[in-house]
Amino acid sequence: MTDWMGMSAAPRTPPAGLKARVLARAGAAGAPPRWPLALAAGLALAAAGFAWWGRVEALRVADVQGRLTQMAAAYRDTLSLLRSPGTRVIQIPVSTNGQAGAVTIFADTMSHRWLVTCHHLAPNQPGQVYQLWFITTTGMASAAVIAEAGNVPMVKELEMPKGAGTVVGAAMSIEPGAGSSAPTGPMVFHYML
Amino acid sequence: MTQPKRLSEDRERDLIRRLVDRDEQALSELYDHLAPWVLGVAYRVLGDDDEAGEVVGDVFVQVWTKIRQHDAARGPLVPWVLSIARNRALDLLRRRRRWHRKAERLRLEHRGEVDETATPGEASVPGWPVHQEVHRALAALPAEQREALTLAYFEGLSQSEIATRTGTPLGTVKTRMRVAQQKLAEALRHVRDWMV
Repeated sequence: MTDWMGMSAAPRTPPAGLKARVLARAGAAGAPPRWPLALAAGLALAAAGFAWWGRVEALRVADVQGRLTQMAAAYRDTLSLLRSPGTRVIQIPVSTNGQAGAVTIFADTMSHRWLVTCHHLAPNQPGQVYQLWFITTTGMASAAVIAEAGNVPMVKELEMPKGAGTVVGAAMSIEPGAGSSAPTGPMVFHYML
Repeated sequence: MTQPKRLSEDRERDLIRRLVDRDEQALSELYDHLAPWVLGVAYRVLGDDDEAGEVVGDVFVQVWTKIRQHDAARGPLVPWVLSIARNRALDLLRRRRRWHRKAERLRLEHRGEVDETATPGEASVPGWPVHQEVHRALAALPAEQREALTLAYFEGLSQSEIATRTGTPLGTVKTRMRVAQQKLAEALRHVRDWMV
């Protein structure tokens, strides 16, 4: 049994201080049987973190992509309206509360849609809104309510009113609250096509 | 002269369990019992106190970190620790390329015999009775068988190298080693506990 051969060597007295050095080395060596477990746990945690981060990023990217797609579609639609051979441009200078501005209407007679932009309208008074009207052969029909104003241009895309007569003009008035079913306030402009 | 006492297999199992549980006191106890023997093996191989001390550090760190690799079914703790010491010492011997110089010096010092000149004092060393038993078993072998085993164990020589060193045919060396191992195994069959 050569396993015991080592015991045939003469024992030697370990030098003083060797034990302390050996125990210190062993202590510094720690407990390796546990580190693979800690490493595995760390890797699993990191993998879960990456998976979660990847999922969040994928959702964020999908959201951004969806919004970009919508914006691109809107821009393409606007561009098609502007490029349409049936589009007529009407620019109407306005003055609101002493401030000079303009309302521009891109009226497409082929798709029966309007693109309306408002520049430099004075801010609404509290409890008031600007309201855009179609002037039809049967009377006034509400086109849009514009609750905000200021230096930022506002753009509205409008479908022609259904069930009303032919649109023959456009108007804008200042109305109380969330708007009115018929013009009641002061007119900003009244324009016949 | 203190009377040696036996360390039972139960005590050894308890020591191993405590080492597995990272009980530093158990490592300290193991060092107290085994350090002289680990140092003895390392010195026997290396013939250098500083290098042997380095091996002792390596061995106990390895025991501390790899104790789960000890398979009690394959043998007691002490031979396992001593085999680590032997392997470490031989690695160091080879790595530092002092093989021929040290082997020659050891050959001259030991001449195939077991050197007891560095013995610190019989029963003051834990494990002395096992040392004596192994000695008796080795001494009972014919000189050429004992030499072959000693060259293989303490100098790490292969059977071919032993044949070259001793000027003996390889087949004879193989036979001597096989027979010697069988005799040694038979003689030490009863050694199951390590004694302190």
